[in-house]
Amino acid sequence: MNPRAAASDVLLGIVPIALLVAIWQAIASFGYAPPALLPPPGAVFMRLARQLGDETFQAAIAATLFRLSVGFSIAVILGVSIGLAAAANPTVNAVVRPVVRVLAPLPKVALYPALLLLLGFGHQSKIMLVAADALFPILLSTYYGASMVEQKLIWSAMAAGTPRRQILFKVVLPAAVPSILTGCRIGLVISCIVVFLAEMITSTDGLGHVLVTAARTFQAVDMFVPLIAISLLGLILNALLQGLRSWLLRGFPEV
Amino acid sequence: MIAMRTILSRAAPVLACLGLLGIWQVAALLLNTDSFPTAWEAVRAIPSILGDKESLINILASLRRMAIGFSLAVTVAIPLGLTMGRGRLVASFFNPLLMVIYPVPKAALMPIIMLWLGVGEIAKILVIFLGVSLPVIYHSFQGAKAVEEKMLWSGAAMGLSAAQRMIRIVLPAALPEILTGCRTGLVLALITMITSEMIARQSGAGNILFNSLDMGQYDTVYAMIIIVGAMGIGLDAAFESVRARLVKWSEPGFDIPLSFA
Repeated sequence: MNPRAAASDVLLGIVPIALLVAIWQAIASFGYAPPALLPPPGAVFMRLARQLGDETFQAAIAATLFRLSVGFSIAVILGVSIGLAAAANPTVNAVVRPVVRVLAPLPKVALYPALLLLLGFGHQSKIMLVAADALFPILLSTYYGASMVEQKLIWSAMAAGTPRRQILFKVVLPAAVPSILTGCRIGLVISCIVVFLAEMITSTDGLGHVLVTAARTFQAVDMFVPLIAISLLGLILNALLQGLRSWLLRGFPEV
Repeated sequence: MIAMRTILSRAAPVLACLGLLGIWQVAALLLNTDSFPTAWEAVRAIPSILGDKESLINILASLRRMAIGFSLAVTVAIPLGLTMGRGRLVASFFNPLLMVIYPVPKAALMPIIMLWLGVGEIAKILVIFLGVSLPVIYHSFQGAKAVEEKMLWSGAAMGLSAAQRMIRIVLPAALPEILTGCRTGLVLALITMITSEMIARQSGAGNILFNSLDMGQYDTVYAMIIIVGAMGIGLDAAFESVRARLVKWSEPGFDIPLSFA
């Protein structure tokens, strides 16, 4: 694609987003909806900018980010190791496959009350919920990536005298990295969503709690602000992961 | 020997369920606290929930909303995804918008939508609709994009109009991918439904869960978890068997979709 067509694509893509904001502004300013129900976009973004400098709001973001990152890290560590083990070892595979088949379509959020009872209302239950939700996409993509490694690569490594034990880390793991990163990306967005929802259901801090408090007092502007904040957080983290991906896979043709 | 093996592979998920329940039972016996009843106690509480008329009506109403939201989402998302897959301009028009919407927690929109539309059915169905649409659009888009150009050219050479090519070539060719999207969407519909009920606390399965948590009826909490879990697993298994029959011709891809967010 030549750069000119790419530029016009970008322009075309901005149109619906701009249109959406314009309709939003129009509904608000022509008085179809009272500002108590739908605050104008300007007011929402002004409020967001002001809140970002506010210490309580920063503390809410910090709490959310902490739960998100710990839960996501647990999911990555568990997912990659279980996925690799299942791809490498037939016995592990025979156990993991049916268990994953049962647990993957189970709505993890339904486990949240049980986690609350077992781990309390603090960080732990939310971290566990995030980990449980992000685990499966990462596990599955690691497993699929590792089991699709070309047999020739493994044979070549063996012919070159690599010990069996090291093949997993020297051949299979690097070859599965693109697939693992795809899983991580899905898991990351899920983590963002789940941590926010868990904070909305029960919590005393975090971005989700900010939304719930605003909803109880019918502060429409303050309801939009945390929602936009968590979505921006998701987009930023996604972009960071994308950056990591292009750095890790530099020199590889992008798939 | 082969028959034995197929029986074993069929029974593996059931064995996994029983194994998980067994681990639960042992863990509960070891921990021995009030807030963690044994699996057996939770299973025993299931008939009393399903036998109770009010909670049964609540659960069925939830399922009805889920079905409506899911079918609406599929009817909108598949045509949109297919047109995006075949038209470059349509794709570059919608893609950035979808990318921006993607990380928004859909169930979290519940309080705002309730502010606009009240606590009625429409608000709940709308949230489910939003949750299901994205994966179905994405998968239909990918499926339509991967259709071989040659088949479309042949169709055009044989005098099919653009609309006919869409229905008779692109739709069947993209069907495996579309159904994968629908499978993810179906589980997502259940998740969005439960989550929005937990947040709104009006009615439905999610509400029963948290009400019994507040009242300290722990065996009901765990029984509801089993019921919701069984719904997820059951819906997924039922859809998978339909899918496998519909697209028997396509190569078996991944047997579990990557994401249920």
